[in-house]
Formats: sequence, C-alpha cells, structure tokens
Amino acid sequence: MISRRNLVNALNARKVADWVVIERVQELAAIAEDRATQRTEERTRWTVVVHHDVPRGRGSAHLELTTRQGEAGDVVDQAISLASAAIGPAWTQAPAAAPAKVNVLDAALEKANLATVAAEIASTTKRPAGAQVQLGIELLRERVTVQAESGFQTSWLATAIRAEGLISVGDHSLDLSRDARRRQDLDLDGALDQAAADLALVATAGPAVLGPCAVMLRADALLHGGGLGVWSVFADHANAEAERQGLTRYRQSTAISPGADTLAEPLTITSNGALDFASRSAPVGDEGDAVRRFALIERGIATGLGITAREAARRKVDPNGGVRNLVIARGTWTETPAAGRTIEVRRLRSLSIDPYTGDASLEIGLAIDRQTNKPFTGGTLRLDLVAALAHARRSSAALRRGPYVGPAAVLFEDAELV
Amino acid sequence: MLAGLGVGSASLLLAFGCGAPAKQVRLAPQVRNDVRTWLRDAVSRLVTVYPQVHVLAVSRKRTTAAIDILGTGVSRTRRDGVVFTVRDKSGMWREHATAELSRDGVQAAVRALAPGSIKPADLVFPEPPPATNDPVDVADDALRNRVGAIMRQDKSGSSRIVYAAAMIDIDDVTLWAIGPGMDREHQTRRVRERATRAAWSGSRPSVSEVERGWVGDVDDQRLSEEDVTTASLNAMLLMTPGAFEDGEQTIVLEPSVGATIIDAAVRGLLTSSAARRPEVIRRLALGAAVASPQLTVIDDPLAPHAYGGFPFDDEGEPSARVVLLDQGKVAGRLARARRPGHIGALAPTPSHLQLVGGTTKRRDLVGDGWLLEGKVGAVFDAASDRIVVAVARARELKGGGTTGRVYADIELVGELGPLLAGVTGVAEESETTVVREDIGGEPMWRSIQAPWLRARGMLRARRRAT
Repeated sequence: MISRRNLVNALNARKVADWVVIERVQELAAIAEDRATQRTEERTRWTVVVHHDVPRGRGSAHLELTTRQGEAGDVVDQAISLASAAIGPAWTQAPAAAPAKVNVLDAALEKANLATVAAEIASTTKRPAGAQVQLGIELLRERVTVQAESGFQTSWLATAIRAEGLISVGDHSLDLSRDARRRQDLDLDGALDQAAADLALVATAGPAVLGPCAVMLRADALLHGGGLGVWSVFADHANAEAERQGLTRYRQSTAISPGADTLAEPLTITSNGALDFASRSAPVGDEGDAVRRFALIERGIATGLGITAREAARRKVDPNGGVRNLVIARGTWTETPAAGRTIEVRRLRSLSIDPYTGDASLEIGLAIDRQTNKPFTGGTLRLDLVAALAHARRSSAALRRGPYVGPAAVLFEDAELV
Repeated sequence: MLAGLGVGSASLLLAFGCGAPAKQVRLAPQVRNDVRTWLRDAVSRLVTVYPQVHVLAVSRKRTTAAIDILGTGVSRTRRDGVVFTVRDKSGMWREHATAELSRDGVQAAVRALAPGSIKPADLVFPEPPPATNDPVDVADDALRNRVGAIMRQDKSGSSRIVYAAAMIDIDDVTLWAIGPGMDREHQTRRVRERATRAAWSGSRPSVSEVERGWVGDVDDQRLSEEDVTTASLNAMLLMTPGAFEDGEQTIVLEPSVGATIIDAAVRGLLTSSAARRPEVIRRLALGAAVASPQLTVIDDPLAPHAYGGFPFDDEGEPSARVVLLDQGKVAGRLARARRPGHIGALAPTPSHLQLVGGTTKRRDLVGDGWLLEGKVGAVFDAASDRIVVAVARARELKGGGTTGRVYADIELVGELGPLLAGVTGVAEESETTVVREDIGGEPMWRSIQAPWLRARGMLRARRRAT
C-alpha cells in the first residue's frame, strides 16, 4: 500500500542521497449546468523526487503516483533506477529554507461542503438580462504535505475555484474562465456583465479596416486564455536552463529590447509566489524548494530567472521556486487614445506566442476603432511581443486576476493590423 | 536540451529519466470477479435511493519505454478509479469519483452518495461477459530491445542529427460498466510507437516526428525503416533563405495536417456541446452544405484496431458509427460521452474519425502550389469559424513536383467553412494520426484517418526571418 509514511520509510531504508515527497490529499466538487450534473471526487496524489548519487555524479527522477495500490519499496526502487539512468555532473541541494509565508486558503471553504458551495455559486451568480449563461464551477480543497530527506516538513491547506462559462446573446456567444483562491475574488458577475456588453458590440461589429494603428489591449485581451496571457512571454524567457544554453532572446543584465532601459517608464516585472490568494502562490515549490519573490525585469533590464534546485547549485545561488504570479509595475497612462488611429482590442480569438523569439499573432475577436467608435471583428496583429510590451504604455488602473497583478490595459503606439 | 524547447518526446524521456533498467512495480492482485461483486453490491444499494444508477470502474496500466542519447528507460505506472453516476428524483445527475478501486473504497463511495445503512435491492444482473485473457506484460528487456530496434531503423546515416529518440507507449485498460440490467467488461491494449529526430537549421532546431498507434498486441504493427528514415531526412531539410511570402495559395495537405483540421472542426462544431453555441446552430443545421461535396467524415469507434476505438462508451452504451458529414452536408453530431482516462468529467469527444478517401491518386493532386507537411497544431474559434493551423514546413510545388524551396514554421489561416468548401481534390491514399491528449492529468485517446487533400488557403510565416 502506498502512503507518505511508507514512501518515506522506503526512501530512508534505501539510503537515497536526497529526496522529497509531496502528498496532496484532494477533495473536488464541480457543477456543470450544460449536463445538469454535480460531481464530487476524492483522491490522493504523491510526487516523489529522488536524487541518487553515484561516483560518476548525480541522477534525479520524478515519479507521480495516483493510486494506493502497489508497494512503496517498489516505487522507490523504480525511482532509483530511473535516477541512475540520468546521471549528470554532481551537485548538492541547498539547505532547506523557510517556506514562504503565504495564505492560499479561503477560510470560508475550509470546512464547507464543496458541492453545496459550487451549487450556491452557480445559483447566486447574476445573469445579465437577455443573455443565456451556462456555467461550470469547480472547487478544490487540498492538504499539501511536503517532507524532505533533510528533516524538513511542512503542510498547508489550499483552496482553488475555477469557473467556466458559455454566454450567448442573440446569435453570438463567448467563452469565459476565471480562477481564484477565494470565492470573493472570482468576480463572476463582473465577468458576465462584461461578456454581455461585448456580445452586444459583436452583434453590430463590421469587418476590420487594415493598416497602421495604435493598439490598446484591454484586460480580457491582455490575459487571453486565462493565466498570464501576453505576459507569459516573460515567464518563458525566465527559464534558467534555456538562458544558460543561450536559447533566450535576451541575456541577463542587458536591456530586454533596444532602448527599453531608457524609457520614461521602463518595464519592471516581479515574480511573487508569496502573494496571498494568488493562483500560483505556494509556500514551497514542486521540488520542495522555498518559494521566493524576485525581480525578472527591473527598469527594462533582465535581472532574474526562475531557478530550480539543480540550476541553483550550478549557479551557486539559492533556488526560488520558479516563476509564479507576475506583478507588473503600472504606468501613468490614463487610457487616452494615441494621436493617430487607435484600436481598442476587447477580445481575442486566439493568441500564439513563440516562446523563444517572442513573436506573436493576435487574432482579433472584438475591437473598437476609437476614431469612428465603431466595433469590428477580424484582423491580425503580428507583434514582437517582448519589444512591444517593453515599450508599451501601461495604464495607471490596476487589475488583479488569477496569477496577474498589473496594469488594466496597455497601449502599443506602433502596430499594424493585417 | 530539447525538453527545454518543448519537444514532447524529449520531455517525456527526461521525465522518465532514460537509462538503466527499471524494476517493475509489483501490483496488488485484482480479481475481476471481486471488482464485479463490489460494483454489483454498490448498484444494488444505490438503486434503493436513486431511480437511475450506473457505475464505471477502470484499472489502467501504462508502460513506457524510451531511448535517446542518454540511454534506455522503462517506466510503469498504474491508475485505478470508479465513477458512480446517479440521477435523483429532481432529474439532477450526481457523480462521485474515487481513486480507490477496492471493497472499502467502493463502500465509502456508496456512503458518500447515500449516507446511512442501506439494504441492497434484489437485482438480477445479466450474465457477466466471458472472461478474456489479460494482456501479457512485456518484459523490460523486450521493451528495451524494441525501442533499440526502432532507433536502428534509421538508414539516413547522417551526423547532422543532434538528437534522436524512440518510444513505445502501452496503455492497458480494463473497464467494468455495471448498472441495473447492465454488466459489461472490456480490456483494451493501446500501443504507440514514436521516433523523434532533431537537427539544427540555422540558429534553430528542426524537429521531426513519426508516430503510429493501434489497438492490439505490441507486435501487430511497427514503425517501418522508411518511416524512421523519413523523420531524419525531414529534420535535416535545408530551409530556403529569406522570408516566406504570405498570400492565398493552392495547397496540398499531408494527412497529418488534414487530420488536425478535421479533428479541430469536429470537436469545435459537430458535438452536442458545440451545438450550445448559436453561431454553430445557425451555420451547421442538419443537412446544411458546409464543405466540399468530396468530403465525408465518419466517427467510427468500432473500426478494427483503431487507436481511438472502444466497444462501449463511458455511460455503458454500446458504441456505434456516426456519419458527421455526408458529401459536404451536415449529417450528424457526436452526443456520446467519454471521460478522460474513463474517470474524468463526461464530454462528447470523437473516437476514430475517418475522412473518406477519394478516387484521385495522390500524385495527381500535386500541381503548382505548396505542400504543407508536419502537424504542429490548430487553434479553432467555433464562434467566428476562424482557424489557424501551424505546420512544420511548406514545400513549393511546380509542374507536379517539388522545386526544392522549403520554408519552416508556416501557418494556414482563414475561416474553416471556405477552407473546407474549397477542397478540390481528395486522394485515395490515407494515413492515420493518433492523439493521446492529456486532459487534467488523464489521457484521452483519439485517432484520425485522413487522405491527402488539395485546397486553397492563406499561408503566412509564423515568425520573422532570423
């Protein structure tokens, strides 16, 4: 039978050089209005990280376990075998550091019946007049326990809420999704109101007029697809291994784009995994390393990377738990349009970003031409996203959603709609 | 290194840590009739509370063997689960899923749905299906030999290949579907073989993969010498310098690219979930002509040896062939529900899609235009019908042959309707693409059989010239 205790006993018995066991005891409840279904689930998942030392160096293995069936000793033997197969240069784990002090628990969900809460969220959500809404709500409550070879042990409770929906007005529909740690941060009513307003505009939208323009990206376009949206390009570029291999487009201690460090309001981005109730916050990372707040970009200069335990040993620094929630410094832009033609992009149909070059294609779902105040749909923006965001004007209005804290809108002054 | 670049197989290899032999995890014995007894008992108790009851149990084993420049590794994992589905008197469906496929786990789940002490009803279940032989576990040594054999199939003999990998992935699934008047059981073995090759093309890596998947025994099919060698040759293709000129072009779609489009179209438009959208209902009423008359698309979960096939769905209903598009006209929608890994949330999903082949020889499709090769992915917005299909490369065609000009990382963009309506040629010859998609940590197996297609579409470079 697999259990944390059995795994730890087996790891100790086999004298593995270093190990971490992460146990997640999870309860889920979901409601799907489209199928008139309530779902509950109970499960336990374990992650076993093993570092095995041999005279040639050190090998590492990660095993994900989802069933109690099996023997802990056999699992550890398999992990050691796999680690032995991936021997690289020797390195040693940094001493365990204190977990980040962060709250990821909605106190109201600590003891609540999750299925009841999911049904309550669905039934109390205000549906815009004239709109048809089908919601899916999923709640997760988990007890996470991390135990390491060094004797380090910590445990915490976490909650997560995910809402997805399809909203239809007349002949048009939009998808929406929101993630939050607390029910009060979900803001489903606001999301539905905004979606209904946008659908009303879609109904009157004309075709895109192509050509040069300034582009204002609003919140739903900025964070298209949930998560970090366009800002994910900087998380990709903060991969320490890719940076060491020279595969990122800019290097540490240099400007992320020519002139990015000499602007009036240069870009500053911080990864903060210790932000209370943010969706990517945690006291400890996926390898048992303490999560830390660190700057990725300071005033247009690349200054930080997400550092794993192995990469930290190579660089002789402390691990930081990787890139998590992004905090982007706001600007002073008051969301006034640029001098020439400005289009305000409300929704995207798709966003594709090349993680190595930062080239991006943004397919426009809904935009408003601010010269004529007419909505349109269609057209594509091809952007060098790193340069565009480095030089973009950032609004002074704040937005906090999921793993993102930063300006509510940005303005690219030099773009072309194709 | 390639894992950092997002190459799926390399990351898989690193995740499993290729190299030395791995011991097999000893699994607790599980007797199929024990499972049946627990599930029948659960159903007998739940029917006293709920008018409709269904239980689906799964025991799944995954065996993956992989080889790359570091060495060879074998990984074995297991996943069990039970989903109890009941419908209460108000008509609401309730599901309770547990990872515990044991007597205690089943009893705990029954208590979660119907607290208190419940006496079982006197239900009569059908005779259990005849027992089938459990798939024989393939020994680690045999698996290592097999992946080694895939590597040795490569006859390109070039030193320009900087990374090479091969993988065999075996999913063994045993399913039980029990309800009042229902007792079904099935065992499936799905096998995938994949070879990956990478070479540098200028300052960027060029990655090529070839993959084959089937239901059956490990030896039933295999990647051929031609398949693996072609993967190497494609990775080593020298790209034409300069920028690709964007524009509307005549295009020939390799089967994997056509399969990506058909898969995106069916999932986005031709399921009961998609039919919730007013735009979809308006455009795709039954009988509406939405594509070229040369296109007929069928979802056939009963196709022999199909990787995405299955004998009964996750509600226990026997599977059946559904014609989705008949000579360009909408003929049906997928309503049958499947669960990722047989334990996730129900959603209508295609199984084995077949785009019926035409009467034209593949070589006769090639005139002037561009041949699009190597699926990368497709993003489809069902509301606006906009599709963006990323492909690995475009080869220029002229006079029925290739000119030698090749560009990497090309996108086919536009509206799906006109793209499908503009299909002017469908080849006789087809190939099958397999998909093992990860949905919330659980696999969804699909396959798509598609022929070469000729159409017109807007092509553009995915990134600036470097």
